[in-house]
Amino acid sequence: MKKILVADDEMSIRLLYSEELKEEGYEVYLAANGREALEIVEKIPLDLVILDIKMPEMDGIEALRQIKERRPDLPVLLSTAYGEYRQDFATWASDEYLVKSSDLEDLKAMVKRYLKE
Amino acid sequence: MASDRAAFLTQMVEVLTSTVSFGERLNNMVHLLARHLKVDLALYFALDKTKETLFLNISSQGPIPPHMRVEFPLGQGVVGETAVTRKVRVVHRLQPEALSANAPLEKLHPNFHTLAAFPVADDNFLYGVLVLLDKQDRTFGAAERQSMQLAGLMLAGTLRQAIVQEEAKKRIAELSVLFEVGKALSATVELDELLERIVSTTAKVITARGAALEIIDRATGETRVSSRYGQIPAVCPALKEMFPRPAKTTGPPHFETQSVDADGRTHYCLAVPLTFKGQLQGTLCVYDKFSPNEVYLPFDPENRQLLITMAGLIVNAIENALTFQQVEDLAERNERMVQNLTVLQEISQVLLTTVQEERLLEMILQGLTLEQGLGFDRGVVLMVDEASQTLTGAKGAERAAQPSQAALPAALLSPLPQEVPVADWQIPLRPDQGALALAVLKKRPYHYQEHLKEPGLPAVLPGKLAAREFFVVPLIVKDRATGVILVDNQASGRPLESEPLNVLNMFASQAALVLENAHLYSTIEANNRELLLIRERMLESDRLAALSSLASGMAHEIRNPLVSIGGFARRISKLVEETSPLRGYVEVIQEEVTRLEKLLREILDFTGENLSYYGDHDLVKLIEDTLVLVQRDLDAANIKVVKEFAPLPRLHCDHRQIKQVFYNLFSNACQAMPHGGTLTIRTYPLEKEDGLYEAITVTDTGGGIPMEVLHNIFNPFFSTKDYGTGLGLAIAQRIVSRHYGQIEVNNEMGKGVTFLITLPVAKYCLVKDAGQNAVPASALKAPKGGRR
Repeated sequence: MKKILVADDEMSIRLLYSEELKEEGYEVYLAANGREALEIVEKIPLDLVILDIKMPEMDGIEALRQIKERRPDLPVLLSTAYGEYRQDFATWASDEYLVKSSDLEDLKAMVKRYLKE
Repeated sequence: MASDRAAFLTQMVEVLTSTVSFGERLNNMVHLLARHLKVDLALYFALDKTKETLFLNISSQGPIPPHMRVEFPLGQGVVGETAVTRKVRVVHRLQPEALSANAPLEKLHPNFHTLAAFPVADDNFLYGVLVLLDKQDRTFGAAERQSMQLAGLMLAGTLRQAIVQEEAKKRIAELSVLFEVGKALSATVELDELLERIVSTTAKVITARGAALEIIDRATGETRVSSRYGQIPAVCPALKEMFPRPAKTTGPPHFETQSVDADGRTHYCLAVPLTFKGQLQGTLCVYDKFSPNEVYLPFDPENRQLLITMAGLIVNAIENALTFQQVEDLAERNERMVQNLTVLQEISQVLLTTVQEERLLEMILQGLTLEQGLGFDRGVVLMVDEASQTLTGAKGAERAAQPSQAALPAALLSPLPQEVPVADWQIPLRPDQGALALAVLKKRPYHYQEHLKEPGLPAVLPGKLAAREFFVVPLIVKDRATGVILVDNQASGRPLESEPLNVLNMFASQAALVLENAHLYSTIEANNRELLLIRERMLESDRLAALSSLASGMAHEIRNPLVSIGGFARRISKLVEETSPLRGYVEVIQEEVTRLEKLLREILDFTGENLSYYGDHDLVKLIEDTLVLVQRDLDAANIKVVKEFAPLPRLHCDHRQIKQVFYNLFSNACQAMPHGGTLTIRTYPLEKEDGLYEAITVTDTGGGIPMEVLHNIFNPFFSTKDYGTGLGLAIAQRIVSRHYGQIEVNNEMGKGVTFLITLPVAKYCLVKDAGQNAVPASALKAPKGGRR
């Protein structure tokens, strides 16, 4: 079973994402900020990470940088309320940049694409 | 005997004190002596003017015919000796030694036997010698000798008196002549009149038939003025040939000549130089002394003396008149100068009352053409356009047909009576472009005169301004010619004098200064306006930034809960059976959330989805693509589209964003022209200081944006429409600024709006595989007359 980490400071978002992803048959880990996300990345052999950008303690950009240091192969998806940073995401070396939407079909399709093998 | 003597004395006193002329008295005396002394002949020998010869003057036998001249040099013969010794001398024929030298007397009285001679002299002077001749051999007693001596003495006294009287008479005559001359000379100071008086008076006092006078120019020696009176014989030499010119300090004191005319008649002329302070000033000449019969007489030494004396008086009078004329000229010039300066001062005071260039030009032209001002028929001001190096017509005016009677300051402020259109007049600033261009290039005034045909100085005036003669003066500020003033008197044909050129020059320097001030002022004003605008725009963009950051903060906060609400609603809807009424409720939640999310996207994410849209695009193609999207709206509103596309280099941009900009602008245009109109789209390359830009203008004919709305059009929350978010222009602005460009609006109330978008090319665009409509950036230049 593929392991996915969802890092978001909003409890409701974490809950929504984990419900939807579990339903798709993934094992879902949750973190409330970048620091917690890093701890999980170190412990668990994850297959994919979904990162919010704006989080307390450690934001998603910093977490992305440190995750890519440790696990360059690990796909990291940025999922954020900030559409306007999309231009910059390429420089942050994330694999995808998604603007949060109540319709999770795009997200789920993208996850599926990354975890095909 | 004694009674005889007494009778003689009485008779002698009677003769000598008689009132008849001195010549008559002398004659009577000679006869009296002959009678009294009973001699055959009594003669009077007078000492001539040379005082060297005694000549026979009176004879007791009657008048001496003119051809008979009997004379004795002083000291020769009895007569000459008596004159020297001044003693009574009596000789007889028996004494041949005494007679040998007296041969001439033989002619008068052949074979006389007795000769008595005694001097007519007083203590100082000898006047002559009286000679008595008798054919008898006789002696003269003491009484008779006494009578002789007494007669000599008394005659001498009478002659002395005669001479004194004669001299006095002459003096008086001379004085009265001089008085006449003086009167004539002091009667006027007008040179012409004075000269006329001089020649007529001179001719009269000298009793000449004619007189002429000439005054020469001291510098050149040429004749300056001359005057003539009476008959001037043509055969006489010209005045200027009489005395050496140019003036020498010493010349002959007079010139006298006689010439014979064709009729064989001799003419006489006498001239004197008029010298002042040793310098020849002119010549005064008299011709042919008058006599009652038609004979012309030569002038005598007294005339000469008188003329010389008169010359002294005359030259002073002429000198006075000349000085007076100079002073008068000077005073007149001064008065004109003062008048001109007053006019200039009044004009410049009025010019200082405004800094508006247009008003100044009007006042300057008024100053040039008003009768109360400089009084030219026509005036034109042309200004130098530094950028194009041309002189360009600024304003022109003609003098009013009905001149204003107002005083100068008020008249200057009145509107121009008749303007001369000069706005389309341009002269390249090259030396071959005529007097106006030269005035700027050489920074000096020109006085153009058609008839002079100066090479290299063509007039080069447009037909309507053609003039035979004109002044052009440069407007100079800080050694820089900023324009020219052109004036002429073409309408009235009055010639231009050189003096007004000086005044015009002074006027021009004033005008140049005030125009420059006005120019500087308007530049400062424009700069201030621009600064104000920039400040306003900055304030606006600050406000915008603050607003949008507030909006974006709020939107972000809303987005997370929306995602949760919507996400869970979807989950619920999956769990609820299709037939359950809950399903409908949940779907409402979903739909509303979707609507809200769409709104948020419009606010926050209008830039599209993906970076990969950045690329090198043909702007014209983007415009054409966007036009397709609004075609239906354009058709519906019956809007005509005019395209003026210049080839442009490819632009590195997000084509979706740029299309969004065009879409917003075109949509706005459609909404502004619901009842039809024209949408004009222009593209052109634009060279700015920092590089090449692509410029796009979008112009509608929708009547423009109301003023109260204009400053709000880029405000994201402002809309004049009843629908939409009002973000159209705000989004366009944001996209353009993201492309390092600018969007500006030019509003023409009552006509329409033009949006100008400029996007930089050179810095951010790599020109590669230029397409059909694209050309390399380096090959492009801003079009002439391109907008700023």
